[in-house]
Amino acid sequence: MAEPGVISEYVARLAGELDFDPALSRAVRREVEDHLWEAVSADPTGDRLEAERRAVRDFGDPHAIAAQFAVVSLAKRARRVGFAAILVIVAVFIAMKTRLTWYAVMECATDQGGPLSEIVLSIDRYAFWLSALVGIAGWMYIDSRGIPAAFTPEYRTQLRRFAIVCSAAAGALLASVISDGVLTSLRLVGTRWSLDMLIPLVSMAIEVVCAGGLVVSIRGMAQRTASVGRAARMGPDAI
Amino acid sequence: MLKGHLDMIVLAALSAGPAHGYAVIEEIKRRSAGAFDLPEGTIYPVLHRLEDAGLLAGRWVTADSGRRRRVYSITKRGKRELDERRAVWEQFSDAIGSLFRGSRPWQNPA
Repeated sequence: MAEPGVISEYVARLAGELDFDPALSRAVRREVEDHLWEAVSADPTGDRLEAERRAVRDFGDPHAIAAQFAVVSLAKRARRVGFAAILVIVAVFIAMKTRLTWYAVMECATDQGGPLSEIVLSIDRYAFWLSALVGIAGWMYIDSRGIPAAFTPEYRTQLRRFAIVCSAAAGALLASVISDGVLTSLRLVGTRWSLDMLIPLVSMAIEVVCAGGLVVSIRGMAQRTASVGRAARMGPDAI
Repeated sequence: MLKGHLDMIVLAALSAGPAHGYAVIEEIKRRSAGAFDLPEGTIYPVLHRLEDAGLLAGRWVTADSGRRRRVYSITKRGKRELDERRAVWEQFSDAIGSLFRGSRPWQNPA
């Protein structure tokens, strides 16, 4: 049973400061709670309330501690975005190949749409391979950076570079997905609805969801970077 | 001064064996004879950062008190990193020591 008191209030405040990362907040809350009770049980005075106050005082300002955790959380998030970009590009590639294989199996004609189809197909190919190359470069870049102890100007620059590279990869991927959408529409327009259309439509939906998800995660990372940057400017770190 | 070496201090404290956050702080205080009396909360972001970097490995265990507790241990990569940092530190410390030993009181040439 949770015991109300100085420690409970403190860990609740610290967990609240970490609410930008719920998993981290839960883990830190449990870890810090254990630390503080350990400090209370090691206190030689025997005055429990005073021991709790001392344990909390020695632990430090929750806002300053949360600011240090924010940098760790942001670094993990950036790495996750880098890895997600690779997964999304692979997923889009599989969806494209599945659709093309389906067309081959169904013996669909490949020249539907004429010259327009050729132009869009070229855009699709170049945009996709551009997104793959830029995405891999971005992932390698962020994965090779260390996690700093504080939100330094150097780290801010690294994250900005990474966000630009990721945005470029996502932009190229979106161009590829839109091109796929145009090509799929050219194939399906005027065709009577049948179950044969299911694979092209589902694969297109997968591409759209993947590309959209990547854009949302890049945007989330950029917003979190800005938020951590503002917090870092407002107050010095703890030590 | 301390801030720049916190990673090395935590790695050194954990080189003796696995420990939870509170024990790491106590070990730092003990080994430094109380000289490094840090705000205790600052250790936890360091532990998480070192774990993410692969220098520490953390796992949850149940303590005798029944509370869940995260115990950290140094990885092989962490040991290599500590050895490298220790070598750099000893080189630096020797150089500064030599500098101080070789110093002379300033004398006015006039």
